[in-house]
Amino acid sequence: MRSSLQQALLIVLLGLGLGVLFNAASPKGIPFITPPKAPLNPEELITLEQAKEVWQAGATFFLDARAPADFAAGHIANAFNLPADAFEEHWPRIAPMLSVDAPLVIYCDGEECELSHRLKDKLGQAGYRKVKILHNGWTLWHKAGLATQSGSGP
Amino acid sequence: MKPLTPPRERVLKFAVSWLLGGLFLWAGSLKILDPKEFATSVANYRLVPYPLINLVAITVPWVEVVAGLFLVLQRWVRASALVMTGMTAAFFVFIVSALARGLNIECGCFGTVGGHNIGLSNLVIDSAMLAMALWLSGGTRHAR
Repeated sequence: MRSSLQQALLIVLLGLGLGVLFNAASPKGIPFITPPKAPLNPEELITLEQAKEVWQAGATFFLDARAPADFAAGHIANAFNLPADAFEEHWPRIAPMLSVDAPLVIYCDGEECELSHRLKDKLGQAGYRKVKILHNGWTLWHKAGLATQSGSGP
Repeated sequence: MKPLTPPRERVLKFAVSWLLGGLFLWAGSLKILDPKEFATSVANYRLVPYPLINLVAITVPWVEVVAGLFLVLQRWVRASALVMTGMTAAFFVFIVSALARGLNIECGCFGTVGGHNIGLSNLVIDSAMLAMALWLSGGTRHAR
């Protein structure tokens, strides 16, 4: 058993080594450390203050890009759930409510959250241009004591 | 139950190791051919720390290929089966986690072959491979 484990370790090491060597030599090689994400484009962001204003004005749709369970646990009041990870599944429910030129604010949660950006790309493909991202939206919003709801409905 | 006679068991082990080794060779090669695509698949699971995604995408397919090669060539059979047991068990955790979170992503298991979204079929295939790897790594009678 012991020698099998040693051989298994050798197989793993051999694979790791070959992978590193091949990647260094291959024209299709990728950077060993994942390059940092492109910095956020300020033009596509909305501040909490601005978001609060458009929310109070009531003409802007708020879309929550997180998973349904996170949405149900708490979300910005009157926001709709459009999970970026299950866009195709949820889009038919949301699409009839949004005209293509409707102003939209999308958000997820956390500094690292990419869901809003992915959702923005998908909405862009569907023709929506007036889309702003409230970065780290859920945390900022509920920490500021603004209106929230829970449950799966808007 | 009558145990399999040694020659018959040997034939079956040989067949299973060819099947499993072949699957690993195939899966690994597809990923090696398109490292960028595989890195995206790894990232989509959102389980690997961001800076390490590329390193995982670079190395994991080669471990698959090396282990698959050893198994197909009938060298270090138990050792390569042990490696595959570990890998298919880890993939199992990844797939279950993705399904539990309702992620709408591609499996990335056999490159983009199939191209469909991750589902129970991925789990069934992975479980079958895990069972084969466990069986090959467990036997002591023909251990080399």
